[in-house]
Amino acid sequence: MRRAALLAAALGAAAAVAHAQRLLVPMDDAQTDHLKAYGLTYNALKDGAKGEWLLNYRGGSFLLPDTPELRRRAALLGVAVVATDDAALAAIRGEIASSNMESVPLERAPRVAIYIAPYSSPWDDAVTMALRYAGIPYDTVWDDAVLRGDLSKYDWLHLFHEDFTGQLGKFYIAYRGAPWFAEQERANLAEARAHGFPDIPALKKAVAERIREYVERGGFLFAMCGATETLDLALAAHDVDIAASYADGTPIDPDADARLDWSRTLAFRDAHIEPSEMVSSMSDIDGHQANVPGRRQPLGSFTLFAFSAKFDPVASMLVQDHRTVIPDFYGVTTSFSRKTLKPSDVILAEEPGAPWVKYIHGDYGKGSWTFLGGHDPEDPQHAIGNPPTDLSLHPNSPGYRLILNNVLFPAAKRKPLKT
Amino acid sequence: MRARRNALATLLALASALAAAAGAARAQDTAQAYVRAQHLEELEQWRAAADAYREALASDPASLGPLLGLERVYDQLGVRDSMLPVLDRALAADPRNAAIRGIQLRTISAVGTRAQERAAFDDWRQAAPGDPAPYRAYARLLLAQGDVGAADTVLRQGAASAGSSSGFAYETAMLRASMGLWPLAAQSWRQAVIDRPYFAQAAAFSLMPAPTAQRAAVRDALAAPPMRAGPRSVLAQLELSWGDARAGWSALRDLPPDSESVAVWTEFAQRAEGIEAWSTARDALAAAARGGAADLLARAARDALRGGDARGADSLATVACARLDSTTAAEIAAPVRVEALSALGRAADAERVAAAYAPYADADQRNAMTRLVAWAWVRAGDLTRARAALEASGADVGDAAGWLALYDGDLAAARKRITPERARTPDELSAAAFLGRTTRDTSRAAGHAFLFLARGDSTGAAREFARAADECPDAAPLLLALAARLDAVRGDDASAMALWKRVVEQYASAPEAAVSELEWARALRRAHRDAEAITRLEHLILTYPDSALLPQARRELDAARNALPAAS
Repeated sequence: MRRAALLAAALGAAAAVAHAQRLLVPMDDAQTDHLKAYGLTYNALKDGAKGEWLLNYRGGSFLLPDTPELRRRAALLGVAVVATDDAALAAIRGEIASSNMESVPLERAPRVAIYIAPYSSPWDDAVTMALRYAGIPYDTVWDDAVLRGDLSKYDWLHLFHEDFTGQLGKFYIAYRGAPWFAEQERANLAEARAHGFPDIPALKKAVAERIREYVERGGFLFAMCGATETLDLALAAHDVDIAASYADGTPIDPDADARLDWSRTLAFRDAHIEPSEMVSSMSDIDGHQANVPGRRQPLGSFTLFAFSAKFDPVASMLVQDHRTVIPDFYGVTTSFSRKTLKPSDVILAEEPGAPWVKYIHGDYGKGSWTFLGGHDPEDPQHAIGNPPTDLSLHPNSPGYRLILNNVLFPAAKRKPLKT
Repeated sequence: MRARRNALATLLALASALAAAAGAARAQDTAQAYVRAQHLEELEQWRAAADAYREALASDPASLGPLLGLERVYDQLGVRDSMLPVLDRALAADPRNAAIRGIQLRTISAVGTRAQERAAFDDWRQAAPGDPAPYRAYARLLLAQGDVGAADTVLRQGAASAGSSSGFAYETAMLRASMGLWPLAAQSWRQAVIDRPYFAQAAAFSLMPAPTAQRAAVRDALAAPPMRAGPRSVLAQLELSWGDARAGWSALRDLPPDSESVAVWTEFAQRAEGIEAWSTARDALAAAARGGAADLLARAARDALRGGDARGADSLATVACARLDSTTAAEIAAPVRVEALSALGRAADAERVAAAYAPYADADQRNAMTRLVAWAWVRAGDLTRARAALEASGADVGDAAGWLALYDGDLAAARKRITPERARTPDELSAAAFLGRTTRDTSRAAGHAFLFLARGDSTGAAREFARAADECPDAAPLLLALAARLDAVRGDDASAMALWKRVVEQYASAPEAAVSELEWARALRRAHRDAEAITRLEHLILTYPDSALLPQARRELDAARNALPAAS
């Protein structure tokens, strides 16, 4: 009798082992919706599950527990998953161990904040669109919350095309008569006055400083488009007037270049401020100068670097993609001139042969930052007034994947480097 | 002495004749070499073709045909740089030739450096002072390379050199469009199209990407006085591409009724027909027909009918019939008029018109009109007269008798006469699907339902389809789904949702279940009941994982969760 019970238990255990143990979320061309796959993974972590990010394995796949609820979610989202039993998993791990691949544990869904003005449409920000489409929850913060110290609540902060020099993107030049511009100017000035600042540039410099402190204390910062360039310019210009007279009533300091303090910045150094108030450019950090006739450079393609997944997992996570060459896209800041990069910057993607790079990363204090140039990976010529991108038409966008890599990157448990 | 002089004259004449003969022979050799080169090029014998083209250029290095041929062949051989010495010889012979200069510029663009391009441009403008061609060609090249600033500079230099910018309207327009200066681009395109009407297509294509916020200014620029057909035509094309066909017609309708306008109106109508903007196409064709073109009038009548304007179609077709000879009218206008009268329920008038033109029509046209007359009687609610019309014609009228059987509820007879492969309209497809689905031979309710449908009474049709579901349980989900669709089209979502719910819950394995659930969810969203819509959509996706409707369902789910921008 006892022997029969033991046998039954053994058979039961064997049957359990034969069941699928994990769900593999492939991220190569077999995936039907790459963007929602990030949402599936994020929300699994948010609900307490543990996962793994299989760097360089089938386009940077995810491994999640095989539960009825996750299968249901994957079916609803249209995300391709592969039930993976122990034998298949062992084969995958064997392949990972013998190749330029690595398994990174994913432990906790990061708390996400997006710095976005209350008057902005969610459809004007590629990150907001990506998060909404993928179903990743986020909070929005703006100047008031940043100055109040609310950033400490979040693991991950995203900045979009905010102009931290306080010149409202120099849109004054072309759009000063437009109602939306007048509304932006009014809202920002009201915010400045409410916090005791005389003008918008002063307010934005203070906000930029709080963001720098957030990263220094261990926050993850991801910035795109104009926020990349202007954040560093605002930090470097802490004690220098680099704002046009229409923004603060005084002209740009003629000696601004020489007085900028690049020791305070995250990514850039030795850039030259655009001295003309009527030229729609902030500095020579942007390689493409899309809004300056005569300087505008044509779009090419950028190439993602291949890093060692085992020795450089952080950079590897940021470049996981099913494509290595991606068409470029314009933004207020499209790219970053090589000559203005700090030596410690890690270049994640570049246009080979061009004097600019597209995607960079670095550590600062206890935190890290990642900058991606351009506005919308699926709207390369984006202009004000264009209709919003409908991501359901681009579920496999390799450009948007770069954004979502950044969201999951803080979820990874860092392993000690193998030295 | 005299004899010697005569001998010398004879000798000179002979030499001259020999020289002329040699020249003629050379010209003939050159022509033969050119023909041979083209033939070899067709055979893709690139090296031999190149030799022949060079031979053709030997006596006339600036001959354009062989130069262009050599350019093509060198390109195939991957030795475009070999063109450069050939072009140098050609330009030495004809330094102002714009076509040869153009070849030189694009060759350097392909194989040379920016500095060499610039040098070629400088050389050209020095060789042809006052000629705008070098500036235009070089600016276009720079624009193609994306160097907007340099192109701008070159155009300014060209305008300064020519004393006017009017010769550079095309390039300036391209430049401004590439810079996103949409109103200014529209102004330049306006001028370019006035000067050269064949730029209209390029202008429309260039201005199409203008963002919504800039379009009012683009419209103002193109519609600015004085009114000209070219810019108005560009504006009309833009409005069509921006999705507003009526606005496109508004841009054109006030043009003076001359031959140029008639051509513009007819071309616009064709474009409007292409996007099925039937009423707009009708108006444009009717305007174009004012000069007396009755065939355009008949086409306008057909478009009116397609757009659901039976009354307008009748009026237009009546005028067309009056203007055309009887045979042509029987072919292109009378059938439209009969169909329009049929749609209006004026069966007697339809029958009269069909009878009047029957002697001039061929058998197919007569049968078509007979069928239309029968439909007219059906719509008028008189099945007896409909049947009589078919019988009186004695012609093969295909499915029409089958339809009359269907309206009588005689499903067995209808099944024999109605050919599913010929079903085209939604009503025909529904009937064919129903007859293929049910095994019953009679159903009064189903007959009534289809008759109501033919008469345009969707309320009665929906009611009878729902009743027919009880009479024909093997086709119940199909009939309920038809009833629900009619209710929804009429705006009665509450009734429709009750029917879709029945299909989903009682006939979950039926082919109509998935689409019913999708439509149910859409109706719930229209009623702002998003949470319930999400439940339905999730159920649909999980229950029918292989359904072709899944992409639509997921999109609706995203929209219900506010994950997508609202459709504009």
